[in-house]
This record gives sequence, structure tokens and C-alpha cells, in this order.
Amino acid sequence: MPGSEESAAAATAAKRDRIFLVVVDDSPERAIALRYACLRARKGGGRVALLRVVEPVGLVEWAGVGVMMQEERREEAEKMLSGLAAEVNEITGGFPILIIREGTPRDELLKLLEEDPRISILVLAMAPGSGGPGPLVTALTGRYSGRLTVPMTLVPGTMDEKELDRIT
Amino acid sequence: MQVYLPIAEMSVDALLLLGIGFGVGWLSGLFGVGGGFLLTPLLILIGIPAPVAVASGANQTIGASVSGLIAQWRRGNVDARMGVVLLAGGFVGSSLGVQLFALLRRLGQVDLAVAFFYVVVLGTVGLLMVRESVRAIIRRRRTGGAASPKAHEHTWLHGMPFKMRFRKSRLYISVVPPALVGFGIGILSAVMGVGGGFMLVPAMIYLLGMPTSVVIGTSLFQVVFVAANVTLLQAWQVGTVDIVLTMLLLAGGVAGAQFGAAMGTKLRGEETRALLGLLVLAVALGLAWGLIRAPDNLFAIGPAR
Repeated sequence: MPGSEESAAAATAAKRDRIFLVVVDDSPERAIALRYACLRARKGGGRVALLRVVEPVGLVEWAGVGVMMQEERREEAEKMLSGLAAEVNEITGGFPILIIREGTPRDELLKLLEEDPRISILVLAMAPGSGGPGPLVTALTGRYSGRLTVPMTLVPGTMDEKELDRIT
Repeated sequence: MQVYLPIAEMSVDALLLLGIGFGVGWLSGLFGVGGGFLLTPLLILIGIPAPVAVASGANQTIGASVSGLIAQWRRGNVDARMGVVLLAGGFVGSSLGVQLFALLRRLGQVDLAVAFFYVVVLGTVGLLMVRESVRAIIRRRRTGGAASPKAHEHTWLHGMPFKMRFRKSRLYISVVPPALVGFGIGILSAVMGVGGGFMLVPAMIYLLGMPTSVVIGTSLFQVVFVAANVTLLQAWQVGTVDIVLTMLLLAGGVAGAQFGAAMGTKLRGEETRALLGLLVLAVALGLAWGLIRAPDNLFAIGPAR
């Protein structure tokens, strides 16, 4: 049947177009979320997007100093993302989409999900230990869960590379 | 509500002092500065003798800066090694500054000298601040973009001896320029009763080429210890730290700083900065007027020489 062939082709295209969004923060479990997203993208098709939220510069008494601070933070974020992009490229064979925003991580993440319909899955890792899963996971599974517009995958922070390889 | 200040030897309204402490604390919370450069001249303007205003202003700076330093230290934004080099210069500078201050006091010229220092420094700083923010506002109206920063230029730093590696600042420079910067700020701190952060921060960025992320924390490091040294030496050698005055200012300042820090993110940068610049200029003009107008009492009774 030609109809089913067409829909199958559409399905693979959609699979390739799906985007896994990973939030790049300074937590150690970030690496696990990133690895999971990369493995999923490689084995099932799709791309990885990296979001880095830069803390905005507060008021500084000299305007020039404030502008320089902003500039330096942006540069640092760019350097960090391009380092991670190389890592992603190694695993998936494609370069990720890099997004840098300024503000609080939670608000910027929700805003990005609202604005960008290409993103299909949000991948977050949970912090191991008894200190809770981390601020983003807590917010998005609790008070802010109603504002989430895409499915979210939570990766336990205790998983190692072999286990990630097995489940993806 | 009048209180008697034992060292300043005068009565002032306690609410006025609390209010000044609150206002300056609010600004320091807002901008993350010590606020000494506004507090000391305000005290002089309400009639507190300059020696007392300077010594007590330095003391107030410590209160505001310690809490900031703790926060920055936790976030790893203090280059301790650079801080120690700055501090070495700062200790020498502030100790010399206090000697200069004591000498001026013996000559009976301390009020004039302090006011003169303030008029020059605040006048310059205020003008620069206003000019900078007016430019930024105009540029935003025209293009909607932010100002482009100047690049670090520090080639002359590489020719000096005693080089040292500052890992946090990602610098390999001679210790002479930072020590000199610390020395200069130390003198200002002793004579003017300020922490000096408002001049130290641009000096660290434009002269030393430090990355901006560690500048605020490292300058607070220097300010806390230099201001402590100034307070101690002023109390010991000049005897002009007024504890009643300081306590009232600190009480107002702590409350104000909390308030200001909470508001800091909600205000527009350029406009607030322009207002701060104008305030600084107004204080400088007030002090300049005090220097040139004819005093109410043309003759004063002083101790016999």
C-alpha cells in the first residue's frame, strides 16, 4: 500500500527531526543527561539541543564594567557549549543546536519551550543522594509542571555509561 | 530624638542618622558597593566634624562589605592571591594615610583637606558616571543595542619585574602594579573614610586586566581589611571613631542593604546609574559650596597652641 509507505517515511523523517533538549548547568549529573540524550539521538534518530542560561549582571556602578561582565559571561558560556558540542558530535555524528539565554534557568527554559516548537523532549538528570533531585526537576515536577509543553525524561544520576548504553 | 555623640561632642537627631544609614545602605545593596563615598560627605554636610566622619565612615564600610565578601567567597569569586598583593599595598597606603591625616589634624587643616579631596574625587567620579550613563541611554535610543566594551590593553605590564601567576584571574603579571593600585586606594581610604571599591573595580579591570567575574569579590577582600586597618589606626592614633554614631549608621545600613539588594534586579541600569552620578555630583557641589562660602562665624575658639 502506498499510503502506509508514505506514513512510514513521514515517521522516520519525524524521528530524525525530533530534538532532545538538555539544560547545561554546573551540576555533575548534567553529563548523564547529555550522554543519555546523545545515545537516544544516535540510536533512534534526532538531534540534541543544548541550553545554557547565563546569570544576568545586576546593577554595577560603572556601566562599562557591567557591559564587560555581561560580555565575559556570554563568552564563557559559548566556550563551554562549543566544548560540549564537540562531545555531542563524537557520539551522534552531528552538531547540536546551541542556545544561550540570560535570566533564571527555570523561567528561560519554560519560555524557550513555549517559543520553539521544534523541541520534542526535555532531558533532565536527577541528582543522586538525599538532597533532592535538583532545583529544575523539583520545579518542573511540582509547582511549574502545568507550564510544561513537551514530555520530560528524568535520568537517574546514579546510572553509569554501560547502563545508559543498555537502555537506549 | 536627640542623642549625644561622645566623640564628635555634639547632639544629633538619631532618626536622621538612622535615615542616612538606611539610604546609603539601600544604595550599597543596590549597587553592591560599600557606600562610604556617600556616607562620609553626608555626615560632614550635617555638621559632624570631618575627622569623626572619616573614621566612622570607614567603619560603616566594613559592615556593608563583609556580608558581600562572604557571599562572593562562597561562589568562588575571590582571587585571594591577588587580594593579598593588593592588601600589602593597601596596608602601607592606609597606614601612611592615617599618619597624613594625623599631621593635617595637628596643623588644623583636616576639614579643609578632606572636603577638598572629596570635591575633586566625587566631582570626577560623578561626572564620569553621568557621562557614561547618558551616553548609554542615547545609544540605546538610537540603536537599541548595548555599548561595546573596551578591550584589555596591558602590554606595559609585561615589562616589569617580580612576576607572579594569578591563577583565578588568569594573569601572569608583575606584582608592582597591583601593589601600587592597593597603595593608592589605601591612602584614599584613610583620608576619605571610604572603602574605595568604586575606584578599585575599574582600576582592576582597565589597569590590571582582571576578568570581571573575580573583580567584585577581590575588591571587597581588599576593602574589608583596609577599612579595618583604617578604623583601628584612626581609633588608636587619632581617637576619632564615634561608637554611638557608628552603631546608629550600621543599624540603618543593614536594614537598607537588604532592601536595596532585593530591588537591585528590577530597576533599569542606565537611569539608576545616572541618578547615582547626579547624587554624587550634588554632594560634591554641596561640599564645594561649604569651601567657598563665608562661614557663619568668622572666628572660632580653638585650643591654645
